[in-house]
Amino acid sequence: MALHLNLLHEEILEQRQRQRDPLKLGIMFLSFIGVLMVLYYMWNAYQVLGVRSRLSQVQQDWAKVEPKVTAAQKRSAELNSIIGTTKVLDGMIDDRFFWAPFLEKLSRCVALNAQITNIDGAVLDDNRGVSVSIEGLAAGREPRAAAEELRQLLLEQLGQSYNEVKVEFKILEDLDTIVKIGGGNMAMARFSLGVTFNPGAAKPTPPPARAKTPKQ
Amino acid sequence: MKQSKLSKDQIQKVGLSGIGFFVLIYVYFSFFLGPLNSSRGSMQATMTDLQGKLAGSKNEMMKATNLEKLASNATTRFAAFKALSQEGAPIAWFPPRMKAFFANQSIDKTTTRLEGSAPYKEADLSTWMRYNWLIDLPQADFSTLGTAVAALENSEPLLAITKITIRALPDDPQFQQVSLTASTAILKR
Repeated sequence: MALHLNLLHEEILEQRQRQRDPLKLGIMFLSFIGVLMVLYYMWNAYQVLGVRSRLSQVQQDWAKVEPKVTAAQKRSAELNSIIGTTKVLDGMIDDRFFWAPFLEKLSRCVALNAQITNIDGAVLDDNRGVSVSIEGLAAGREPRAAAEELRQLLLEQLGQSYNEVKVEFKILEDLDTIVKIGGGNMAMARFSLGVTFNPGAAKPTPPPARAKTPKQ
Repeated sequence: MKQSKLSKDQIQKVGLSGIGFFVLIYVYFSFFLGPLNSSRGSMQATMTDLQGKLAGSKNEMMKATNLEKLASNATTRFAAFKALSQEGAPIAWFPPRMKAFFANQSIDKTTTRLEGSAPYKEADLSTWMRYNWLIDLPQADFSTLGTAVAALENSEPLLAITKITIRALPDDPQFQQVSLTASTAILKR
């Protein structure tokens, strides 16, 4: 058996020890990790640059649109306010009570033998109706009948246009005064009527039922 | 079998390398990657917000355009209502307007007095005021009065007569003494 002498034993051992140097290995490992980290950081930085560029584009778009949007929002708010105000004002206009048609109906009811001396009318609060007080004089052979005729006519006329019409005598008294109408002396009566009604449209009267005709 | 043992020097080096590794990791995440990610996160949040606003803006502008079309009638009516309220204090222009109106209706000697004013309770009418007026017509013929009241009610939509008093004049039964209480909605100027 041949004898082998390793004269480089110490050198080889030193070389092996140098290769297994933990500091060297650690530095190599750290360098590797460091390179990986740098690469990952650069990848992230690249992505951030992309996001920044997109953000800048979006900001530019928004800067162009924002004044228009603000103006549109302001205009919308203004229009909504106008619509709301107009709606309320229209409601107020629609809920008004018109006195002219009432006065016209009243004038139609007053016959030649009656005279109205005083009218006091008021729209009740919260549109609960209208209250009118009518004072006057009636003349005739039967002055009370003349006043009653006026009341009936008023009830009929107002009933055509208004709801819940009530026309009631508050005062009806004979007077001693005699007036001359159409050449004849007539007795007089003083009356006071209380009229209340709801100005809403009168309920339509149902059409009269048709009488059944016998079949021929 | 050969057993590799680390020398004291090598152990120190391994420890140093470990500490260096942790310092590197800390510095990397705290001073480099962390701020970068946080900056990206905030930019993305801003972008999402702006994109949402941009998408909403189209909707908002379309809504405004549609509303403009729908409100054209209301806008015209509102302009007409506004035109009924003149510039200046109502006490300065409303009584002369009533006097001129009734003079045109052949009723002279009209007196208009302000009874009071109050704001409306409705939130939509915050820029409007209710004025109550007492209009005295000392000498008016009944039929002329009826025509005048009809014309007044038709020409002044924001005016409502709340009370009416008609008394026959004892000396001149053809004429009546009339008193009207009216309320008007007037725009605050």
